[in-house]
Amino acid sequence: MQTSELLNSYSVDPATWDEMYTDPERTGGSSSVERTLDLVRGQYRPVVDFMQQMSIEELNKKEELAKRLFMSQGITFTVYSSGEGIEKIFPFDIIPRIITATEWKYIEDGIKQRLKALNLFLKDVYNNQFILKDGIVPVEMVYSCPHYLREMHGFHVPHDLYVHIAGIDLIRDHDGTFYILEDNLRTPSGVSYMLENREITKRIFPDLLPSNNVRSVTDYPNILHRNLVSLSPRQTSNPTVVVLTPGIYNSAYFEHTTLARLMGVELVEGRDLVVDNHRVFMKTTAGLQQVDVIYRRVDDEFLDPLVFNPDSMLGVAGIMSAYRKGNVAIVNAIGNGVADDKAIYTYVPAMIRYYLNEEPILKNVPTYQLGHPDEREHVFANMQKMVIKRTNESGGYGMLMGHSASDEEISKYKMEILKDPRQFIAQPIISLSSAPCYMNGKLKPRRVDLRPYALCGPEGIQIVPGGLTRVALREGSLVVNSSQGGGSKDTWVLAG
Amino acid sequence: MPRFNIHHITRYTYEGPVRDSANQIVLFPIKDAFQDVEKQVLSISGDPSVDVYKDYYGNEIGAFTHAESHSSLVIDSRIEVVTKQRPPLVDDIPAAQQWDYLLQLRGQVPYIDFLLQEKFASLAEVLEDTHRQEMLTLTPLQAAQSLKTYVYDHFKYIKGVTSVETTLDEVWKLRAGVCQDFAHFLLVLLRQINIPARYVSGYICPNKSGMRGEGATHAWIEAFIPGNGWVGFDPTNNCVADDLHVRLAVGRNFSDCSPVKGTYKGAAGQTLEVGVSVSYESGRTTDDIATVLTPQPAARNGNNSAEQNSYRRYMEMQQQQQQQ
Repeated sequence: MQTSELLNSYSVDPATWDEMYTDPERTGGSSSVERTLDLVRGQYRPVVDFMQQMSIEELNKKEELAKRLFMSQGITFTVYSSGEGIEKIFPFDIIPRIITATEWKYIEDGIKQRLKALNLFLKDVYNNQFILKDGIVPVEMVYSCPHYLREMHGFHVPHDLYVHIAGIDLIRDHDGTFYILEDNLRTPSGVSYMLENREITKRIFPDLLPSNNVRSVTDYPNILHRNLVSLSPRQTSNPTVVVLTPGIYNSAYFEHTTLARLMGVELVEGRDLVVDNHRVFMKTTAGLQQVDVIYRRVDDEFLDPLVFNPDSMLGVAGIMSAYRKGNVAIVNAIGNGVADDKAIYTYVPAMIRYYLNEEPILKNVPTYQLGHPDEREHVFANMQKMVIKRTNESGGYGMLMGHSASDEEISKYKMEILKDPRQFIAQPIISLSSAPCYMNGKLKPRRVDLRPYALCGPEGIQIVPGGLTRVALREGSLVVNSSQGGGSKDTWVLAG
Repeated sequence: MPRFNIHHITRYTYEGPVRDSANQIVLFPIKDAFQDVEKQVLSISGDPSVDVYKDYYGNEIGAFTHAESHSSLVIDSRIEVVTKQRPPLVDDIPAAQQWDYLLQLRGQVPYIDFLLQEKFASLAEVLEDTHRQEMLTLTPLQAAQSLKTYVYDHFKYIKGVTSVETTLDEVWKLRAGVCQDFAHFLLVLLRQINIPARYVSGYICPNKSGMRGEGATHAWIEAFIPGNGWVGFDPTNNCVADDLHVRLAVGRNFSDCSPVKGTYKGAAGQTLEVGVSVSYESGRTTDDIATVLTPQPAARNGNNSAEQNSYRRYMEMQQQQQQQ
């Protein structure tokens, strides 16, 4: 009977938290143990039950349909280093990742708390610097961060809001505890995949979503648009909002087009905009049209060639002066990189205590600063147990996984670290929870993380119930980054 | 209290019409106890509105755009500035105590930015040649004086051999350059012995014996010396900067203080001319009444190879303009 086959092939690593299966000790890879629905966590039961009713042929057809939908809709991303065709289809697994209402409440509270503190930190480091004066965050740590922009100092941003859109990465260790892996407060990407993955699930399993009481994510573009409009410096009923993209070669270009389309706003490149008399204008066939709000997906460094990188062809010269004069809103604010720097990350729990007088809800992964000689020594002695990251890189670029690196790779990387230790951190390798993936007619556990998206507007912080679950599709792999061969899943948050 | 009338003209002439020009000017003298601006008249071709704001280092920065098609850009600044002689330098605290004090400043705002160490290949050689260890046996003031004189003695003042892009290694190899290079080098040497040092851009007002750096904007440095505060050292003229130096801006390096820079869209070819003239209150001028414009080394452009290709030369591309 194929039904038990589906579940019987599911062997969970005993040292790993599995999102679906409850009793790792009883599995141990042995096929003699009867895997029954009783051992499946409550939130997954209806889905497993539903899948057991289907034949493998039917499931394969669903998977095939999902693939074709991704292809025909051009849901792609770009890998920079893979010398082959640059655009790739984002691999999608048809089994959803399911989060209970209780888990979600905890995540939501934790992220809101964290973002409140991070936003206060940004306002503080660019103004009074109380947290530096009180020695909670070392001055050197902030001033040595390349994303700490002196140009933002003493600058008033509308509503004191720096972080409008955040993607916070969460992982779970072996006992299911959630940890914050990193904060993304500059131009977090991936939300379009959250939206598209849900659309695909609707197509391939039309009945499952309502019957499981899954909360909707489709409101995301509306909330984002509402927040953007509310930031308009001009009091007009219909302000001009644009999405500024670096262009078709950017890895997230698909997302830029999707968001612009879903919000019904223009997608522009730097060359479509011009600054005159400290105002930003968009060149249209009907002449210049003033722009009020820019959701930019261009990094700080490239945004204004006059002030930042003079070689940038992606930005708009003079845009900083329009921003400074309050004639245009820029989302996210410029200079946020100092708050999501991976070395500053270590101090986020301290920021929460300092600014909010609260205990952090969500934990940080223990992090070693390689700029500290003692911590560096400890890390160098335990390279195999560590993952080492550059403090200002994202997307899994420039990372070393100690357990799978060769001696040569390790010693090369050490040399690299010693050149500028401040720019590196190390974390113990956390095993990440696993979730079921449909692979060749069987369910297989694969490691996952979770990136929920938070939208902060003048009215407060809203986190759309869902997110992007990234999955390491290679067996045993712990790297989920799409740029490093990861895929994704639809992420369900249950209503209760 | 000397009173100077300074006339500073910057003129860009383009090979063809350009547009969408965005510029930043750092031409507003610092106002403090030693320097006061009585009058400043700034006129810019096209009469754009200039937004003046204070940057992180307290400098006044002007930003303006000129979107319409134009074929030249002239920035004309006339200032009347009064400077005051500084009190004599003191050096009566024991050396060890002064160095300890400087050590305490290391992780502090604002000194942290002015202690940023620059790494380059010849650094070890440079430190040996400047007798870094011996410097630490002097007082910070003596060390700063000595290093200023070192730069003056070992580097030849030659215009046109360096540009804003010349690296420290290249300057070291040449042992030559202009005031920017002299200042940059002295910054490195002072920061290496933990004396906070910042770049200064401004004008030099000549005395009878004549000074290097006339007829253009000048650059020197300020070092933080215990008991004295920020003291100006001019390695190009081997002197302490006093009431003949008019300060426009301070910063970590040249790019924080660049007097005029901008970008525009249009033809790649451009010429830049700069002239600075200084006259005393009596109306007596340095050379003659007219401010002499001198062609400057070509600023870096998006694509230099475009010169032979007329199509590409006139193709819409973003260009940069920066006074060197």
